[in-house]
Amino acid sequence: MSTPVVDTPRRGLTAWRPGPVALAGTVAVALVIAGEIVSPGFAGYGQLVNLMRVAAFLGVIAIGQTIVIIAGGGGVDLSVGKVATFSAIIGSRVMAGDDANIVPAVALALLVAAAIGLVNGLGVTLLRIPPFVMTLGMIGVVQGLILAYTGGQAEGRAAPALTSLVNGRVILDLPGLLFLWLLLGLLAVWLLRRTTFGWSLFAVGANRTAAELTGVRVNRTLILAYVLSATFAGLAGILLLGYTESVFLDLADQYMLPSVAAVVIGGTLLAGGIGGYAGTAVGAIVLTVLQGLLTTLDIGGAWRTVVNGVVLLVLLSLYGRQRRLRS
Amino acid sequence: MTGAAAGLVDRVRGVQLSGLATVAMLVVAVAVNSALQPNFWDSYALTSNFATFVPLVAIAVGQTIVVLSGGLDLSLGAQVTLASVVAVQVVDGSLDRFPLAVAAALGVGLACGALNGLVVALLRLQPIVATFATSFVFSGLALVVLPTPGGSVPFEITTAYRDSVLGVPVALLLIVALALVWLVLRRHRVLRHVYAVGGDADAAYASLVPVARTRVWAYVLGGLFAALSALAILANTGSGDPFVGNELTLASVAAVVIGGTALAGGRGGAGGSVLGAIVLALVTNIIFFADVPTDYRQLVNGAVIILALALAGIPALQKRRPSA
Amino acid sequence: MSTPLLEMSGVRKRYGGVQALDGAELTAVRGEVHALLGPNGSGKSTLDKTLAGTVVPDAGTIRIDGAEARIGGPRDAHALGVAAVYQQLSIVGDLTVTQNVVLGLEPARRFGFLDQRAARDRAGAALERFTAAFAGRLPLDRPASALGPGERQIVEVAKALARRPRILVLDEATASLHKEQVDVLFDVVRELRADGVLVLFTSHRLDEVFALCDRATVLRNGRTAGTVELAATDEDELVRLMVGDAPHQAPRAARAGAAGAGSAAEGPVSSPAATLEVRGLTTDRLRDVSFTVRSGEVLGLGGLQGQGQSELLLALFGGAHVGAGEAVLDGRPLPLSSPVKAARAGVALVPGDRGRQGMFAVRPIQENLSLASMHRRATARLALRGAAERGAATAMVERLRIKIGSLADPVSTLSGGNQQKVVIGKWLLDRPRVVLLDDPTKGVDVAAKEEIYAIVRGLADDGAVVILNSSDNRELTELSDRVLVVFEGTVVEELDAEAISERRLISSALRLGPGETL
Repeated sequence: MSTPVVDTPRRGLTAWRPGPVALAGTVAVALVIAGEIVSPGFAGYGQLVNLMRVAAFLGVIAIGQTIVIIAGGGGVDLSVGKVATFSAIIGSRVMAGDDANIVPAVALALLVAAAIGLVNGLGVTLLRIPPFVMTLGMIGVVQGLILAYTGGQAEGRAAPALTSLVNGRVILDLPGLLFLWLLLGLLAVWLLRRTTFGWSLFAVGANRTAAELTGVRVNRTLILAYVLSATFAGLAGILLLGYTESVFLDLADQYMLPSVAAVVIGGTLLAGGIGGYAGTAVGAIVLTVLQGLLTTLDIGGAWRTVVNGVVLLVLLSLYGRQRRLRS
Repeated sequence: MTGAAAGLVDRVRGVQLSGLATVAMLVVAVAVNSALQPNFWDSYALTSNFATFVPLVAIAVGQTIVVLSGGLDLSLGAQVTLASVVAVQVVDGSLDRFPLAVAAALGVGLACGALNGLVVALLRLQPIVATFATSFVFSGLALVVLPTPGGSVPFEITTAYRDSVLGVPVALLLIVALALVWLVLRRHRVLRHVYAVGGDADAAYASLVPVARTRVWAYVLGGLFAALSALAILANTGSGDPFVGNELTLASVAAVVIGGTALAGGRGGAGGSVLGAIVLALVTNIIFFADVPTDYRQLVNGAVIILALALAGIPALQKRRPSA
Repeated sequence: MSTPLLEMSGVRKRYGGVQALDGAELTAVRGEVHALLGPNGSGKSTLDKTLAGTVVPDAGTIRIDGAEARIGGPRDAHALGVAAVYQQLSIVGDLTVTQNVVLGLEPARRFGFLDQRAARDRAGAALERFTAAFAGRLPLDRPASALGPGERQIVEVAKALARRPRILVLDEATASLHKEQVDVLFDVVRELRADGVLVLFTSHRLDEVFALCDRATVLRNGRTAGTVELAATDEDELVRLMVGDAPHQAPRAARAGAAGAGSAAEGPVSSPAATLEVRGLTTDRLRDVSFTVRSGEVLGLGGLQGQGQSELLLALFGGAHVGAGEAVLDGRPLPLSSPVKAARAGVALVPGDRGRQGMFAVRPIQENLSLASMHRRATARLALRGAAERGAATAMVERLRIKIGSLADPVSTLSGGNQQKVVIGKWLLDRPRVVLLDDPTKGVDVAAKEEIYAIVRGLADDGAVVILNSSDNRELTELSDRVLVVFEGTVVEELDAEAISERRLISSALRLGPGETL
């Protein structure tokens, strides 16, 4: 506490800053090639489009995760998976398979998601609950909300228009989902790189004390980060709903760990202040290809979980080391 | 020189609940519970209540040690799961193999704790994220060991666990035993160093405390208590379940907070966490007996945990620290 | 003299952009009390820490009893018989006094279980000499955080003594002690000397140095300026060694007067109305601070480092909890409740710890420069226009002559001086009316220093209210129109233009004993 935290290790990182994105891209390509070798056809066009489609959901959820992690101070949102599930459940019930209900359904789902994010943000800033703990606790609350809302039985159905927007083939036989992902990705990049919010966010993540002493509204920025995180998770839930058409009670739960891993793979520092969405998007693709490969290799869900944990651990030891006590 | 500015950020650290607040919550929880639960004070109800408390109490003691060292272990629940499924596979319904199963569970806890400790102390990863990652390794392995709920614990064990000695429930004796283990540990050099490292790692380092080794010990002890929690769960339920520990991680953190241990480390103790765990378990009881509709139970439970975590952020309930 | 007990030579240590030690030398013998002296930032503490193992030097050799010593950590130092009392104490507040005294070397029975009685005995023995300092009752079982600063200091000393050192480092060990406590400590030190222990004594109180020490080594800018026998020297000689033989620098005020720009007393011409009035400002670290600064004036804050100067600037920027008092800018009360409000009210702070408080090391220069003022240029306070931001940043880079490769480079790639210019430039883009500068040239090379001086003068000449804290007395002399000497959180002396000189500043700072406030 008494020794100032010197930024020297980070300075080293900046030297190879363009690295992580390119590195992650290389890994993705290598995995695809490996997949093609062990199982010919893995790299076929249709197969790749399918992988990209699976990656898109993770990619959209990870937008919010990127924002929260950039904010630093141990920032993370473990509730994104549950929030996406809840949003899909609300969307499905309100839509009830009718195009006329799309707007109120999406609005309500996103509003609820944003409110959950607001509670996360308030807990983290005003009540000073560590983000990991706060958002992990929020999973239980949202699960409770889901049970209370559905009574244990999800109902409703995606509106046809939503389904055709997500699944319909647009250009080059690519589903609309991929263009939606592109659009949201561009929005995320703009938000991070060309708005006062984005620059404040990076500043808060890079050095919270300095941000405060530069007149940045630190708490407001952090709360907004959690609201955005939950909102993007809610959007991802709606997209998933469009894809699956009907929902089940743990639809998007499994995205919790991959959303963090995708951000880390993309070169965004868990310590905050460095990173961006392009890397995260590539990270989402890497993870999806890896899962596809493990499935192709007939590796079961249990071992896949182990592999995911190990992958995250290895990445952390590459990117996430802390200072020494001795100077 | 930078004290005041550091204070801007550091105000966040070191919030701690006072012992009075913990005891008050326990009293309220007991009062509400005895009002709602018929026969709350009957020996049968007491026995079965205490039987459900032990796992959370054990894991809360383990979490306390890790938190005191300045860390946090998000993999404790997964360790409980892994230790319990390994133990249930080893024991396989045979009383003869029970000692072996106990050893296996403790071995799992030790290994998981050592892995966490090495990752945190030597690789210097942030404890929260590192144990978040290892939690997936542990829970994945648990699914490999026991893909679906099953296995059986010898009935002698489950019977003994729900028995009582001279009118005192065995489970209560186990809770007392856990508290005694804590008191013994507290007289050990390692725990003293845990407090020092959690209180001020730089000062501890300058005072010749082996900081890295102490951190490893904290996670190892956490793992061992997770193993004890696993054994209690087996004794209580009689069979293995590869998801059993999921909910325990967060509850253990909440118990630590309710018990008045500062999440920043260095201040508090497992005595409070034992009470905190009992408070949380009683609240679950209350929710059950208060006729909360089934569909709302989880929501209320989740909200209670969040509120418990938030308590430490409320100034009026905080322990006043002598001015530094 | 036989082999000296301790020889340190060619010791170098660099922290980021600051060369804290630049080839320091020190030789001392057993049975000696050796003073380590030097102005603020001369490297005394770093040299102490090098010996104690909490800082590993970049270069240099340490010999103990003639044998080269490798000190890679506090445990190595302990094995060599070195114990240290740090300026930033190594006391853990949540442990009791006994637990602190034996920390790291706890007496234990079998299997590592603590022997509490032995611990109490050992702590009691180490503290016994200081009983008087605790009003007669040793607080062995009280948490250290419940003690007063002086009492904690003594616990730290007792902890070092309990390690039975051959070399005892006392770094500002008397800073928070009362007179009686100091007397007891001195008696103990004299006994240690009689037992052949080497005591390295760092203090800013020259009277203590003369009362206790045999010899003194003076450091200046990380180098050894000389070692003297204290019996054969006086305070003036020591001050001369600390200051060096630098040419006398005319104070800013005198130069301004000579140039006929109007004396400071009459106020500047540009915006005559602007004044900052501080009345009775009181925080945790400040007591009843009052003063007035006019626009166009540079008010210096002098005195020993860490007497509350930084806290004063921070408080004016809304970064400290203000217990009482107010600040009024042009007749309007200045919000002291948050930095955001202070910034909106036209106050800027260039903080003392650039790395921790001033800049975003990993972020691009562009963002570092834009951050304080970007909302002014943004559409709907949200959407930034790349061209506008680049334009503003480029203009500032040119105006302050910041040497950069590209605006997209992380600010950490710049030299210390250019980093500091970025921090200053960030605020200039916000056009502040009050500029608070906390040691703005720390760790900055000579050329950049001069440029920053020119910027500071320019700010004042443009009509800003400037308050400058500096640990460098030459800097205060060069830049200030007036200097307030701060001691223990309160203003104890005001030096006007004629009175400001380096020598006067140092002696004002050094010769103040505790309680000798004006």
